[in-house]
Amino acid sequence: MRYSYYPGCSSEATAKANAHSIEGVAKALDVQLEEIPDWNCCGASVASGVVGDFTQLVVTARNLAIAETKGLDVVTGCSSCYMTLAVANKKFKQDEHFRAKANEALAAAGLNYNGTLQVRQFLDVIINDVGLDKVAQKVKKSLDGLTVAGYVGCQTVRALPFEFDDPEQPVFMDRLMEALGATAADFPMRARCCGSSSTIPARDIVLDLGYKIFESAVAGGAQVIVTPCPMCQLNLDAYQSLVNRKYGTNFNIPVLFFTQLMAVAFGLSLEDQAFKYSIVSPYEALVQYSK
Amino acid sequence: MVTPDKERAAEQAVPHSFKKKRGDNYFMEQKKIFSEPVKYDLTFAREIYRLENGSYIKQCMNCGLCTVSCATRDVMEYPPRQLFNLIKLGKKEEVLTSNTFWSCTSCCTCKARCPRGIPIIDVMHDLKKYAIEYGYTDYPQAAFYKAFWTEMSSRGKMFEGGMTARYFLTRGLDEIVKAMDMKDVGISMLKHGRMPLLPPKKIKGLGGLKKIISKAQELDRKEAAR
Repeated sequence: MRYSYYPGCSSEATAKANAHSIEGVAKALDVQLEEIPDWNCCGASVASGVVGDFTQLVVTARNLAIAETKGLDVVTGCSSCYMTLAVANKKFKQDEHFRAKANEALAAAGLNYNGTLQVRQFLDVIINDVGLDKVAQKVKKSLDGLTVAGYVGCQTVRALPFEFDDPEQPVFMDRLMEALGATAADFPMRARCCGSSSTIPARDIVLDLGYKIFESAVAGGAQVIVTPCPMCQLNLDAYQSLVNRKYGTNFNIPVLFFTQLMAVAFGLSLEDQAFKYSIVSPYEALVQYSK
Repeated sequence: MVTPDKERAAEQAVPHSFKKKRGDNYFMEQKKIFSEPVKYDLTFAREIYRLENGSYIKQCMNCGLCTVSCATRDVMEYPPRQLFNLIKLGKKEEVLTSNTFWSCTSCCTCKARCPRGIPIIDVMHDLKKYAIEYGYTDYPQAAFYKAFWTEMSSRGKMFEGGMTARYFLTRGLDEIVKAMDMKDVGISMLKHGRMPLLPPKKIKGLGGLKKIISKAQELDRKEAAR
């Protein structure tokens, strides 16, 4: 299985753990990810608030245009990148007026996109292309006895509803955790918002939503929260101490990328497990599984 | 005995529209008041309808599903439903000085649930853009959005450090003092190697990207003028 890979800006900064663990897990599952040469920032859900939807979608489509020369479907490990890339892709496929107008803009840099690719998420690829059977076969150290809250977040399942999972009550993350031998926690907040980029301009939004998410995860008996989204991971991991300070709680629940937990179950190297980037230490919760 | 003072006080307590003056025809006056239509200035509403996703607002039937779905409704001045109504009524100042669209985190819950298929988060993006264009930038989010775009378009990639610096430079000392309890977060991010101090390399095709951006905006302006 070969794909074009769009790492996203967070892979070089706040979510290095995501990049390392995706690399390791992909290798273990024989998924070849070929980085899109000279990719640019997708603009997340912010850029269109300054320059408008059209400009942002065209900027995003630059990546798709470059990837199309290779003809491989695009895979990304970031929910925000997925949202912009997939929405742009869908517009290219369905909206002729948009396609003509966008290609006129892309032509300014000698590019063109015909809308022949699919945009996928790494979670989607693991579930639907690799398959849970193969994942279960690869497990060396079963996560038996570990209760995991699968926090899917918002844009993963709702950017394009029903693209690969239910937009309100997604189940694939839980099935994946069960394939690794873990127990999926009863976690009603699994697809609610974490506050996204409000961390800097309106921190209280993130702290309030984070509190609700932690409360729900702990009530479900979770020892670890896993997520596919760099923004969710950052907000829940780095701001957990501020949530505790604001609400007088003492949550101490590690927040990992789901690929990190896969790396643990597959017995991959410590480099691939990438625990050193976690602010809330996962060592205590995972000491008996990680080597 | 009723003193003149008390009489005046009683008269003032009666609402203006029900005041009856000696010699005037009470019913004629009432008719005049009630026959005046309520005036709405729709210039603003029409301007918003012309935005990229603006015309969707006309589809809103005020069911309120967006409001119950919203993750940040607790901090919003007007929930999306009310905001759309205010737009329809042409209440420019109320709309543009509200924090509603700035509080939207683009979590797509309302967009996925809206029974009329309104892409509410995209309408919110349009309103953000409109507010920035017309100088309604008092909310900190406006500075954040602008910093994000400047950083992204000048490098082709996002550099969190540069964006945060730009944001605090725009917002000034007050905001820095308020954010002092964030320093623990910053320090732990640095310690765990998640906050590079140096920006990533600019992309090679930055010149091309800039050309794409200016062409796209030119096309946008052309279409808006039509």
